[in-house]
Formats: sequence, C-alpha cells, structure tokens
Amino acid sequence: MIFFAILLVLVFVAQIVELFLPPLEWMYNAHIYIVPVVVFYGAMALPFPLMLTLAAFAGLLLDALTMQVIGPRVEIALGWSILIYAVLASIMHGLRPLFIRGRWEIHCIMSGVCTSLVLLSQYLMITFRRGSILFTPEAWWQIGGPGLLAMLMAPLIFWLLHTIGEATDNPFLPQRESY
Amino acid sequence: MNRSSIIALLILAAVLGYFLTFGPESTRKLQAGFYQMISPFLTTGSSLQKQITSVRTGLKSLEELEKDNAELRVENRALNATNQALRDVEREVNRLRTALAYRERSVFKLVPAEIVTRDASTWWRTVTINRGKQDGIETDMSVVTDQGLVGKTTTVSESISIVLLVSDENCRVAANVEGTREQGIVSGERVAGALAPLLNLNFLSKQANLQPGQKVYTSGVGGVFPSGLLVGAVKEYKVRDLDGQARLAPAVDLAKLEDVFVVTGRK
Repeated sequence: MIFFAILLVLVFVAQIVELFLPPLEWMYNAHIYIVPVVVFYGAMALPFPLMLTLAAFAGLLLDALTMQVIGPRVEIALGWSILIYAVLASIMHGLRPLFIRGRWEIHCIMSGVCTSLVLLSQYLMITFRRGSILFTPEAWWQIGGPGLLAMLMAPLIFWLLHTIGEATDNPFLPQRESY
Repeated sequence: MNRSSIIALLILAAVLGYFLTFGPESTRKLQAGFYQMISPFLTTGSSLQKQITSVRTGLKSLEELEKDNAELRVENRALNATNQALRDVEREVNRLRTALAYRERSVFKLVPAEIVTRDASTWWRTVTINRGKQDGIETDMSVVTDQGLVGKTTTVSESISIVLLVSDENCRVAANVEGTREQGIVSGERVAGALAPLLNLNFLSKQANLQPGQKVYTSGVGGVFPSGLLVGAVKEYKVRDLDGQARLAPAVDLAKLEDVFVVTGRK
C-alpha cells in the first residue's frame, strides 16, 4: 500500500509539473505528458482494483485541471478522462504477465501508444462537439508527439518506479528479480 | 475475474455515473474548488519557473560576454551578473510603469493580474491568473493588456482564475474593422502549430476586400467584451463560398504574456 500511495502522490506531482512544462515548438506545440507513463506503470505493478483507483485519480485530476466550461457548456464532461484512463490501464494490465516475465520493452512502447490514444480520444470528442472534422499535420503531431516522448521517457520512469517499488517492498510484483 | 475486481469495477461505474451527471455549474464549482486547493503549488511553481528563466537568461549573457572580451572574463562576469540583475529590475520597473500608466488612462476598471500557468493542455488555449473572486473577478470578464484583448475568464475560484485566450476556437469575439462597416466574429484555430497562432475573422461580406494592416476592434455585441478593444491587425483576406474571411495577427503576443488586466467594469 505504501507503493500505491507513492504512485498517487507521484501522479499528483507529475500533473502539477506538466502545467509548467512549455509545449515543444519544434514539434508543432506538442506537450510533454508524464502522468500517463506513471499510470501505465501502475497498471502493471498493481492489482486490478488499485489500478482502477489510480486510473480514476489520474483521470479526475486531468479533467479538473484541463476541462473547459464555457457558458452553459462543458466541452469534455467530467468523468470521460477517468473512463479513458481506466480502459487503457486495463489493456496495460492485461499485459502484466509479460511485464512480470521481464518483457517490459513492449510496455514502454504501449505507454507511448496509450498516451497518444488519450489525446486522440480527447480530440475526437472535441471534433464531435464542435461539429467539423479537422485533421491537420499539426493535429497529428500534437497527438503523436507526446506518445513518442512518453515512449522515450518510459524506460527511465519505469526503472525509477521499479526501484522505488523494490525499496518499499511492493508486494504486488512477483518475480521482481526477473525485471 | 475475482470478487474484489468486480466490486472495484462497480464502484468505478458508480463514480463515473456520478461525475457524468454533473451540469456546467457543478463542474465549474468543482474545478474552481480544485484550483483553489492546488493554488499554493501553482504560485510556488510559477515563481520557481521565473527564477529558472532568469538564471538561464543570465547564463546566456555570460556566454556572449566571454566571446567579446576574453582577457577580462572574470571581471566581466561579475559586472555582467550585476548588470543582468539591474536589467531584470529595469525591465520589471518598465513593465509595471507601462501597466500602471495603462490602468490610469483606461476607461475601464482594471484589476491587475499575473500569469501563473499557461497552456495546461493540448487542445485548449488557456492561462491561469493569480486573481479570483476575492478580487472581484467573475466568470466571463474580459482580460486585456495595454496592447489589446487577451481573452475572457471562464472558471473563477477564490484566488485563481482560468482565462480562455482569444486564440482558442471556443473564444468568439464580435468585432469590426477599422475604417469600414464590416463586422464579423473572431475566433482562434482548433489546432495551432505555433506558440502565437493567427486568428480568424469570419462572416465578413464578400466585398470587404480588407487590406493587410487594418486594425480590428471589439464591437461590444454579445456583452462579454466591451467595445473598442484592439483584437489584432489584418494579415490576409480571402473570399470563401458564402462569406469573406480575414486572418489576423493578434494584438497581444500571447506566448509572452506576463501581466494582464481583468476588466471589472467602466470607471
């Protein structure tokens, strides 16, 4: 449970840090997302109920910090990010046996893909709400760029979190030595 | 799937169902409460970010100085550090002097505010400012600088507010063009590949034939934005099937915003 609490705190801190990270102009203003990588690590390192709790916490944070309420309209209603995180984290949780066997490179790639899927689903919801389909190269970069960055960050973040997990004796990761 | 997983799924479904029933007002309240709760983290983060930026600027000057004067490097480092500090102070004084002058000559009641965070997400162009309900700020108030229109407030907590920038597609501003009878709606782009994206002025007449450089001001229609605020200048004009559209360069450099004013009324 200590490790789970640490992951919750890390998700919160990462979400605040993200607010201060400027978008990358050379990547068509793509943002850097750290929270999904932490959540997707949690999806592999935690049992299903705790994984869902972590995903719900991250989704609620994302919604509360970024949703836009304009007049009588909420662009993406509170709760959608929880659902998106829960679904994607469940997919990652399904790959847990591979992770326990030490094949964590797949999860690094999947973290990037799932980060992009979070953004794609948000963009599709916005597109649906605003009523016109618009997929420019900039939009693809802003969806794919954060995924690529998450893929690059994932090995380091996974290693750090795994080290913290070992230091706090995370009981939910069997065969930790094979990582 | 074991029993605890099923229970967890049911709880998640209940939580989701609860949140998804939130209306705009409850959502706004929850968001305001959340921002209020994390405002100490945001203000600390903002001041840390400013310090880091200042140090980075200082280091750049040192590099230039080394190239210019190799033999006096050590002495120049000290001088440059002092100069940098003074330049920061001077810049700050100039910035505040300009802001104060604008506040005094403006016909509006203005509440000064500092930017705390900017561009929190990929799809919405917003900034947060360090003023809220306790400073008399309310939802849908215009935000300006001495150069022109910045946007409007959306969610307001006790000490922090979210400002929707004029460069967001959802921020629609009724505007007219200087020297013409042309009126239209200014809005931003859904996806912008640059830090300072252009704005669109839609629903112009096909005969408008606007020229680059013509200024665009708020018309006051709609009630949120008072009339006469500079929105931007025409960069190009094109005729579409049903109307004319102009692309505008925003009057305010939205990527480098530091201080803004919230319009709380007229003097």
